[in-house]
Amino acid sequence: MPSPTLAVERLIRALEAVTRLAGAIAIGLTLLLILATCAVVVMRYFLATGSIALQESMSYMHGAIFMLGAAWTLRVGGHVRVDVFYRGASPRAQAWIDVAGGLLFLLPLCALIFWLSWDYVLSSWAIREKSNEGSGLPYVYLLKTLLLIMPATLMVQGVAEILKNLLFATGRGGAHVGEKVEPL
Amino acid sequence: MAEFIPLYMFAAVCLLLMLGYPVAFSLSGVALAFAAGGMVTGHFDMAFLHALPNRIYGTIINTTLIAVPLFVFMGVMLEKSKLAEDLLGNMSRLCGTLRGGLGISVILVGMLLAASTGIVGATVVTMGLMSLPSMLKQGYSPSLATGTICATGTLGQIIPPSIVLVLLGDILSTAYQQAQLKMGIFSPETVSIGDLFIAAIVPGLLLVLLYILYVYGYALLWPERAPRESRRIRAGELLPVLGPLLPPVLLIIAVLGSILSGAATPTEAAGVGAAGAMVLALAKRQLDFRRLREVMTSTTEVTSMVFMILIGAAVFSLVFRGFGGEELVASLFERIPGGVFGATLVVMLVIFFLGFILDFIEITFVVVPIVAPVLMAMGVDPVWLGIMIAVNLQTSFLTPPFGFALFYLRGVAPATVLTRDIYRGVLPFIAIQLALLAALALWPGLITWLPNLILH
Repeated sequence: MPSPTLAVERLIRALEAVTRLAGAIAIGLTLLLILATCAVVVMRYFLATGSIALQESMSYMHGAIFMLGAAWTLRVGGHVRVDVFYRGASPRAQAWIDVAGGLLFLLPLCALIFWLSWDYVLSSWAIREKSNEGSGLPYVYLLKTLLLIMPATLMVQGVAEILKNLLFATGRGGAHVGEKVEPL
Repeated sequence: MAEFIPLYMFAAVCLLLMLGYPVAFSLSGVALAFAAGGMVTGHFDMAFLHALPNRIYGTIINTTLIAVPLFVFMGVMLEKSKLAEDLLGNMSRLCGTLRGGLGISVILVGMLLAASTGIVGATVVTMGLMSLPSMLKQGYSPSLATGTICATGTLGQIIPPSIVLVLLGDILSTAYQQAQLKMGIFSPETVSIGDLFIAAIVPGLLLVLLYILYVYGYALLWPERAPRESRRIRAGELLPVLGPLLPPVLLIIAVLGSILSGAATPTEAAGVGAAGAMVLALAKRQLDFRRLREVMTSTTEVTSMVFMILIGAAVFSLVFRGFGGEELVASLFERIPGGVFGATLVVMLVIFFLGFILDFIEITFVVVPIVAPVLMAMGVDPVWLGIMIAVNLQTSFLTPPFGFALFYLRGVAPATVLTRDIYRGVLPFIAIQLALLAALALWPGLITWLPNLILH
């Protein structure tokens, strides 16, 4: 029978696979966003035309970058902290702070955003909400779905962080936040 | 007592932030705890939180904020392709024989770097790694060297195109419209990011000039603490030194110029700037697939970090408003003696001290939306207010013992540089910034003159 620690570590890996997928999409979109912006500029200043769909796609990409990238950023420790005391604390104390913060601050926030957004997103799906502009993109309901995906992925990574820090704080190994994460 | 709950909430956030859990989530977590307590005791109506999904969606479709990931990409690309390092090397060869020449070139390169990245931490760390060793090797006193680097690093806030000015511009324009609607003006004037960029030019350049004068004067008085290079540069060497300087400088000028002249929106300019930075890196043979992936990854991380704080701050401000925080702040402001001047002074002091624990982004998202509409309704000019906040925070980030810039530099400075040296080194620069702040308060024209000239 495998040890409980191993099972938890396997769970962490499974959760982080979700984060990785969302993060990879967000990261890829940064380059696409630049290309789209340049295309808009070229069309406007050199060809004197414009495409509302293309301009709207920039908002879609921009939104997806930070809504999908939030969980990845949590994983690599990229969300800023006030580290006046945190930095000087022992690694174990840091892990306990992250466990408490995750349980008391992060998970309730994700639950709230998910719960508040549920009806908002569903009613957009019900009418397959389109852009207000005639030639705009007809996928507003997909864009609004980010409001559910962001808290869901952030919660997945939040649970993974809590488990990692619990393993570390209780001396069962496991990597602490700020570990070297291989680039995507 | 219930009317003071918003203040307790603010105090609780400040305390709990010190624990070190990420700011975005601490802000919203504390607010939610208060909201839950308020609902149980009947002081808070859940309806206030129902605005949240629309707020977040509003951030997604805000076309101006698309400039944030694009500017971040441009800055990270310029930084990772080592353009800044070459700049510093060339500049110091050019100026090294002047009195205080190395210090002055650090200031000038720092200004360019600040203009391109706009992030205090990144600028201080990069400048610290690049220029501190060479300044110390040339015999600069540790306090002059570290003071110059810290002060230059904080220029990223004010020298456009800065990300913080983009965010501040967005918040200020909303606040300004609110204030005008409350005053019964139903066709409100607007503030744009371009206005803030233009307004930041004179104060920003003035600050750079004052820094340079200080370093030059210091080198005149104590030449042994800021020695110059003995080797003179020959005319034939000038071209290879100046040549590489041009492309990044031109890129920044082009990006700025197209925004300031109104030819392009900040988003368009940022997108072209990001592409331009890629081309420059490619031309320098500093761009391969791996580096591109690195830049894209850190762009995603910085962007997510910024917008999660925005969302956390939105939760905080909805709860703050639900507890009657806006009325409380307005009534407190009315009680401050000295009218507009007194209220502005108090806001500036509060922001200065908050700058010890919060970064520019958090203050922009949390504090500015609360205080700015009240001040503007009292007649304060929005652009002037924005620049004053920017210079004020810059000073705050330099001030021992909590200034952010000091921590960042301490992190990369060798152990031979004492923390005391850093503290002593920044004091004159703090004095310079306070003098500038006073000057901007006395002569608001320093801020408003250029925008009026260009826009009207």
